[in-house]
Amino acid sequence: MAGFADLNLPQGADKKSLQSLLEAAAHLGYSAVALNHVIDFKEKKQEIIKPVPPSELFPSLPIVQGTSKRIKVLTRLTLVVSDPSHCNLLRSTSANIRLYDIIAVFPKTEKLFHIACTTLDVDLVCINVTEKLPFYFRRPPVNMAIDRGIYFELLYTPAIKDSTMRRYTISNAISLMQICKGKNIVISSAAERPLELRGPYDVANLGLLFGLSEGEAKAAVSTNCRATMLHGETRKSACGVVYTVKKPRKVEEEETAVPACKKAKTQA
Amino acid sequence: MEGGARRHTFMLPGKLRTCPSITCQILPFFPCSARLQGSLGLWKMYGEGFKQKVSFLIPECGLLPEVLKSTIADIGDYYLVRSLPIHELVAHEFIDAFVKKGSCYALTYKTKIDQDNTAALLPNGKLILSVDKDTYEELGLQGRPSRYSGKKVMRYIITIDLTDAGFHPESKKHNRVLWALKEKKPLEFDFLMAWYNTGAEGSTLMSYFSKHQIQALRPKITFSTLRDLPCPVLQSNDLQGKPEESCSTEELFEWLGAVLNQVSLDNKSSSFLSTYCCPEPNTVVEKAFLCTITGFIIPEKIIQLLEQLCCYFGEPKLAYWLTLTVHGFADSPVSWRESEHGFHKGGENLYNFVIFRNLDYWLQMAVGAHDDCPP
Repeated sequence: MAGFADLNLPQGADKKSLQSLLEAAAHLGYSAVALNHVIDFKEKKQEIIKPVPPSELFPSLPIVQGTSKRIKVLTRLTLVVSDPSHCNLLRSTSANIRLYDIIAVFPKTEKLFHIACTTLDVDLVCINVTEKLPFYFRRPPVNMAIDRGIYFELLYTPAIKDSTMRRYTISNAISLMQICKGKNIVISSAAERPLELRGPYDVANLGLLFGLSEGEAKAAVSTNCRATMLHGETRKSACGVVYTVKKPRKVEEEETAVPACKKAKTQA
Repeated sequence: MEGGARRHTFMLPGKLRTCPSITCQILPFFPCSARLQGSLGLWKMYGEGFKQKVSFLIPECGLLPEVLKSTIADIGDYYLVRSLPIHELVAHEFIDAFVKKGSCYALTYKTKIDQDNTAALLPNGKLILSVDKDTYEELGLQGRPSRYSGKKVMRYIITIDLTDAGFHPESKKHNRVLWALKEKKPLEFDFLMAWYNTGAEGSTLMSYFSKHQIQALRPKITFSTLRDLPCPVLQSNDLQGKPEESCSTEELFEWLGAVLNQVSLDNKSSSFLSTYCCPEPNTVVEKAFLCTITGFIIPEKIIQLLEQLCCYFGEPKLAYWLTLTVHGFADSPVSWRESEHGFHKGGENLYNFVIFRNLDYWLQMAVGAHDDCPP
């Protein structure tokens, strides 16, 4: 099991409110958060700016409650697309896009959902929870997304704010579950204030309402988030992630060293 | 093992019985010491592991007897060592000085069992490492996947037997383990440690780890006398309780939880927190003594405390029963003996002794969803 992560904290302009959000997340037990920068193409032309490194924004990161490690802060970009031409930005090799750790897309039509699941190079596909879904989910694009390692994101903060949105959240989530069977789901907040954040175990319980099983619900807040972060890292490389560390002195030959337990069996 | 936060409560009345069915056994009347042998034998089976909190409640008792006071005062210190690399626990000096002479207990501090890497040293010399997937692949030691991991294995358990004959300083096994923990992936944790030696002379933990930041800590002990407390009426041979005569074991368990957490039992209309009431039938006792010990407590001391509590009824007393509750750590990698402990929604592993005036006893155990049922 991996540490808990919240992959959607809207990046407002106010540094102080962000700091209080971070402290609330660390206090609740999240080991990693992602600051989300949303680009909506419907508004007048927006440029994708370079992400500000978290070390510049926050001189000292709070310590996660119950451990001795500091919270990890990632950068994330969400593109709200309502027209196929908006996707061109992702296909172009824009330098600024590559600097973000996680890239998400929020499709507004069925065609765009299909394109996002099958061809676009993203890590997360956001599912609308604030209004009735304009399209039905179909199995082929969802299965293709699961094969490609793309995760579907559900938000829970709109459900806290308003009861109508709560109905839409649950109904949209359940219709997604019927198609994807609980795989590849990430639940995150879009909390603008610390009061809207909820602890990871509570969010896992909320996953039960969406139709996830117990293990899947806990994974939606921990293991799947870790997988999304690794998927984001693989985008920067050719095909996979291998961490290597250069050793200062030469290592003794490995072929002759039989793992200790196997040796004991032959001796005994 | 996934079916909600399932609480298994097993009632074991009377003598050593390993089946959890509710067959009632009245103990024949034996003097205190003989009865103790039976109960302690049972205790030694389950009483291993790391204990975080011990509380006992004695109804109709205002002052604690001197014997009990001295047992509690004798609980002993535990140590907090900061940033201790784990290869120090595998070093032969440590094994010879502490692990082989007496019982050495160590547990990582401030690590969560379902998120981080955890390590524990059991008194039988086994070092258990519960590591996540990345660390396991980097370490290169052989382990097995966690039982509570599901299809995509994210957690592995590595067990290293430090007292094994094949683990002497020049063996390949020892060299491999030392290389993995020292050079390949150095792991460092804050450890809570305690050592129980059977009187043998030798260095203490404090002097051995003097190069690291080591701090001796005393368990926190609180005494309180509760006034006018409604206590349920219990019959030792009646686990299920009879409607007008006695309360059942589940009702006692809930009531005890409420008392230990200082939940008010009045059911006042102005209180929004709790509408819990003491189960019927109950009697209001004028005073009851509650003692809580929090810290890193080793089972040997708990057994001494249990022995003294059993002898409490040696003299005639007003109380009909008393209880002793022991909580394990929520983030420990092992619960009963060496069975794996996980944290799904809750990591409780606790047991509760109810000792009666006639020296019958009930033993209740509660485990979380990711735990083994005690045998």
